[in-house]
Amino acid sequence: MAVHTTLSYRFFLSIALLSILAAVSEPTDLTTELVSLRSSSESGVIRLNDVSKFITSVATPRPYSLIIFFNSIDLNSNPLQNFRREFGFVSASFISNNKNRSDVTNKLFFCEIDSSDSESFHRFGIQSLPQICLVDPSMENLRHHERGMMEEADVDGTAESVAEFVESRTKLTVGPIHRPPLLSKTQIGVIASLIAISAPFLIKKFLKGETFLHDSRFWQYGAVLVYFFSVSGTMHNIINSIPMYLRDPEDSNRLVFFYEEPEIQLGAEALSVGLLYTGVGLLLAYVTDALVRVRNVNEQRVAMVLVMVVSFLAVKRVVYLNNWKTGYQIQMYWPSSWQ
Amino acid sequence: MATQESPPPGTSSAMRNAFGTVLSALILLLIGVLAFSIRLFSVIKYESVIHEFDPYFNYRVTQFLSKNGIYEFWNWFDDRTWYPLGRVIGGTVYPGLTLTAGTIWWALNAINIPLSVETVCVFTAPVFSAFASWATYLLTKEVKGSGAGLAAAALLAMVPSYISRSVAGSYDNEAVAIFALIFTFYLYIKTLNTGSLFYATLNALTYFYMVCSWGGYTFIINLIPMHVLLCIVTGRYSPRLYIAYAPLVVLGTLLAALVPVVGFNAVLTSEHFASFLVFIIIHVVALVYYIKGILSPKMFKVAVTLVVSIGLVVCLIVVAVLVALVASSPTGGWSGRSLSLLDPTYASKYIPIIASVSEHQPPTWPSYFMDINVLAFLVPAGIIACFSPLSDASSFVVLYIVMSVYFSGVMVRLMLVLAPAACIMSGIALSQAFDVFTASIKYQLGRSSNSKDDAEDNTSTNNAPKDDSSSGKTDKGEEVAKERSSKKGKKKEREPADKPSVKSKIAKKRALVLPLEASIVALLLLIMLGAFYVIHCVWAAAEAYSAPSIVLTSQSRDGLHVFDDFRESYAWLSHNTDVDDKVASWWDYGYQTTAMANRTVIVDNNTWNNTHIATVGTAMSSPEKAAWEIFNSLDVKYVLVVFGGLIGYPSDDINKFLWMVRIGGGVFPHIKEADYLRDGQYRIDSEATPTMLNCLMYKLSYYRFVETDGKAYDRVRRTEIGKKNFKLTHFEEVFTSHHWMVRIYKLKPQKNRIRGRAKKLKLKTSSGLDSKPAKKNPWI
Repeated sequence: MAVHTTLSYRFFLSIALLSILAAVSEPTDLTTELVSLRSSSESGVIRLNDVSKFITSVATPRPYSLIIFFNSIDLNSNPLQNFRREFGFVSASFISNNKNRSDVTNKLFFCEIDSSDSESFHRFGIQSLPQICLVDPSMENLRHHERGMMEEADVDGTAESVAEFVESRTKLTVGPIHRPPLLSKTQIGVIASLIAISAPFLIKKFLKGETFLHDSRFWQYGAVLVYFFSVSGTMHNIINSIPMYLRDPEDSNRLVFFYEEPEIQLGAEALSVGLLYTGVGLLLAYVTDALVRVRNVNEQRVAMVLVMVVSFLAVKRVVYLNNWKTGYQIQMYWPSSWQ
Repeated sequence: MATQESPPPGTSSAMRNAFGTVLSALILLLIGVLAFSIRLFSVIKYESVIHEFDPYFNYRVTQFLSKNGIYEFWNWFDDRTWYPLGRVIGGTVYPGLTLTAGTIWWALNAINIPLSVETVCVFTAPVFSAFASWATYLLTKEVKGSGAGLAAAALLAMVPSYISRSVAGSYDNEAVAIFALIFTFYLYIKTLNTGSLFYATLNALTYFYMVCSWGGYTFIINLIPMHVLLCIVTGRYSPRLYIAYAPLVVLGTLLAALVPVVGFNAVLTSEHFASFLVFIIIHVVALVYYIKGILSPKMFKVAVTLVVSIGLVVCLIVVAVLVALVASSPTGGWSGRSLSLLDPTYASKYIPIIASVSEHQPPTWPSYFMDINVLAFLVPAGIIACFSPLSDASSFVVLYIVMSVYFSGVMVRLMLVLAPAACIMSGIALSQAFDVFTASIKYQLGRSSNSKDDAEDNTSTNNAPKDDSSSGKTDKGEEVAKERSSKKGKKKEREPADKPSVKSKIAKKRALVLPLEASIVALLLLIMLGAFYVIHCVWAAAEAYSAPSIVLTSQSRDGLHVFDDFRESYAWLSHNTDVDDKVASWWDYGYQTTAMANRTVIVDNNTWNNTHIATVGTAMSSPEKAAWEIFNSLDVKYVLVVFGGLIGYPSDDINKFLWMVRIGGGVFPHIKEADYLRDGQYRIDSEATPTMLNCLMYKLSYYRFVETDGKAYDRVRRTEIGKKNFKLTHFEEVFTSHHWMVRIYKLKPQKNRIRGRAKKLKLKTSSGLDSKPAKKNPWI
């Protein structure tokens, strides 16, 4: 292996010397072309349509490195596009951090290849996404590029990881990552001026007590809603990003809505049980608050029977689901002679 | 019941009130007895011992306090833990619980009742649960009358969530803190309803007690300002609100700063900033109202512009200062645990030591059913009831339930704070439902007689048989409670706020009735629901929450098995090792080792120093030699591991091991979680990674395990282990408990490293002899 490396190294060296002597103009042309391509893109990421032109048909060592993000717009995957955006931030930060140093910025170009260009994907041997590959000046065989591939553990979708990867491999500094602020300056200005203009009116309304904040119904619905979401364990689902339902691994047409383990719950399950929890209480409140005002006795009777049946079934259902899910069976403590 | 039926029709209302008071007192007494006795299952089923982990530390501190007095306690530097750093106990504990139990012990001894400190500690929590249910009665009475109050108190006396933290032997901060929390809220509402400075002062004092008892006091100091803000925003400002709030902030903050563990945090951390901001706002608003009072409407309009603009400017400046302050501190001024409440993903991302504790995880819906049971159904009705009509007090409990239910959704541990709110809400809902149904029955039955008084008296007689039909004795309490609320409570409750409207409302209510038979069925259904709650709570208290976790039992076909391995091992340590020997174990067992074995530990459950814990984690995750070096550098002589593979005890060290790796890897990057996982799966069988099979934790847990059954089958992981026959090079087994749950190893002496070099060996032995007397007492 060592012999091979030194041999190939010597070979590259001689080729490099030769190419510098023979065809000095060609790579610099390519660099200027890349620079112009880069300046036409907003974040500085070049859409690489012609792999052979910039990589394979250029004699090594090339005067530049390329870092390539393999993208797939057709896949329509949110995490992938978020990662692509982060990649764009790294590119933009790299350019702006090294603004006056063309010797640095012309060493590294951020590129992107879409899966529609299946030939390039094949050339790089890309099997899974997201994937980032660094083509350094000396790389020849694109399929054996373990050195240039970003490790799977490092591909965590943040701009910082990409920057770290770039810095460790190219010895170029990316510098701090500049993310665009949540709101642009003009947006902030518009919002601030809107607030400034509306403030007197709002304050006047507020002092008169005419806002929605003074309407107790707003607070009532709000309170019940918060209760509903909390008691169904929505936070658990948000934090662990749990799906609404699963597909049965044995039968892909069957959907699984309820999961038999107390530590885990699916989204649909949580919401339905939360609805049962909240529904019974609301029905009780309906009977004691609204139904008593109804004048027609028969109407009251029918409504009450309905409410009682629904509540009874709801409570029974929750108790059943709970016993099924947790595996607990509550002891009833009947006298021993009854059993 | 006899007392109830005795008053003949036409008795004066004073007489009825007297009966009501006596009956309420009796019911409250019974609720107290219930709250105390339902928590004794642990003593009856096991024995009178301190439970779990943290209570052992509190017990040790209480022992120290009772032996050495309060001044020694404040200055106590504990050299038996966090070796070699030590820990300043007096300045880092919430002293409320310890002082409470210490005072009780002292008072009992002063009147010649010679109880041991341990007995006092064991029964502190049940006693305070009774106090907490009485406080709940007072609080709910202020909100919706004494009927709702009694119902809420009965519910709280046995709510499983609270039982889980306050069974006899569970000697932890929450035991007294929940009482303090509810009582603080009660005094706040009482002040709000009466506008009395006396109650405001008391409120600040109970807040001080709460600060002494539990870090959860930040919930109070954020909830009350929020309520004040809410009142102001919805146009409910009144001088009573000012009196309820301003003294609390001033006195409360001053008193809170007296507690050493809080100190200047009471004014410096952003958990407290909300209260100061609202303090400013309420003054601005008070000024506006004052000016409005002394000026003519026209003049006021002129003045309002001026005052509002000044007030806005002041607020803006304060907000800017606060933002700057918050932004300048590294975590934004928020401690990790509080941050994880606002951004729930924070802890799991950045602080493994918080994420590793199971009680910091968000709960799923069965947790709610387990912990508050049928109250989960009743709370929405209580919320609606609080809005008709909305008063200052009822808006407070609504805010309380909303906040606590949100926080409980983030962290399962805070279910404890939700429980009182859920009980109050459910008490209100039940009270209102019983009120409506019994009033309907009374009205329908007594329609023939036109006299209102007759109808009213009928309630009591009508209710009596229904009470007997109910199965649980607490249901009786609840039902009687309803009755009271229909009569006396309604009159008393909103006296300061809207007195005139109450009478007309009662008159109106007369006509608001439901059909007779439907009401009876509804009543029966509610009673069934209550009965189910009682059964669930008794079951939870008896089966789920009474295990002391220091003694374990299991029921099998051939009878009851008792696993007393922990105490066996701690006793072994205290009898067979030198007083100054250092024992290393995972932090879970630190408190128990210091309290029961009286040996110095490296880390304990007070997880204040992440690096130190990471060092132990790294040692456990390293190969034998590297681990020996780490432990040796910490002067450790014995290593204790907990192993459940033989009897199937699931919370052993092998199951906690990945957290040791994570926490260790967080500080020492050469420990990588991926090295211990095969394809992302944690396994200890033949598929396990070599790193896993060679780490110290694996070796100490499974050393000689194959000798037990010949196959080395792990009953927790349900598999045969990967590496069965191996020898230890740097550690030697000195003790393994009866069921192999605790295994203690001794670090082999250093001479192994220089074997074969006679000269050095000689030198070594001589120096070893020299060092022996010095080693005896390295810390004095």
